[in-house]
Amino acid sequence: AKVKVANLREKSQAELTQTLDQYKRELMDLKVQQVAGAAAAKSSKVRDVRRNVARVLTVITQQARQEVREKVSGKKYIPKDLRAKKTRALRRALTKSELARKTLRQQKKEDNFPVREFAIKA
Amino acid sequence: MSPQKASTKAQTARKAALKGTQGQKVKKIRTTSAFRLPKTLRLARKPKYERKAAPRFATLDQYSVLKQPLNTETAMKKIEDDNTLVFLVDVRANKRHIKDAVKKLYDVDAAKINTLIRPDGIKKAYIRLPADVDALDVANKIGFI
Repeated sequence: AKVKVANLREKSQAELTQTLDQYKRELMDLKVQQVAGAAAAKSSKVRDVRRNVARVLTVITQQARQEVREKVSGKKYIPKDLRAKKTRALRRALTKSELARKTLRQQKKEDNFPVREFAIKA
Repeated sequence: MSPQKASTKAQTARKAALKGTQGQKVKKIRTTSAFRLPKTLRLARKPKYERKAAPRFATLDQYSVLKQPLNTETAMKKIEDDNTLVFLVDVRANKRHIKDAVKKLYDVDAAKINTLIRPDGIKKAYIRLPADVDALDVANKIGFI
């Protein structure tokens, strides 16, 4: 039986850890049954329960990270694994605003002598 | 001048003559010839942000420690004769892990645990139960007889 992730997302962290425990128990029991006699336990069930455990763990982590994101939003420093990954070089590159910086001298020149566009009347 | 004022003036003059007016350098008395590392202020960490957003789960929790019980002929003999259960166990688990896992999962205390690593790389644990608990009962309860 595949657990529905939409149902999982409604639960709280405590409930999720309980659900996780429950699925891990189920997995353990299935493995014991396999040892006892494979005819009773379907091997497909093991796969489903393993994936369910993975789904619950995913939801738990996603919720925890979301909480942290909300807590640090707006602050100057956020945890490194919540920052944009991009690439090492891109993270060290100049930002757009830093690239666009101009000296006062250049700004004045551009203001006073803008590039003119002309059109020839046909 | 009053007598007190005169005497203090004389005393300051005496001091200035003997010791100078600038103040003296205080030389620390060293009792050994070795210069040891001086103790400086060590501040505790006060990070501005957590490095990891959310902490990871323990990967070796009690469900991961015990992998499966063994029901080979030798293992069955152990259950009946020696009151021990034989389990295949995660290689990273130590006897303390195994004892805790058995306690938490099956509610049984282990009298003693012996472990070995099989030639195929899997750890095997012989979990001896105390005399008041019957290994056969526990095995039935777990379900692998």
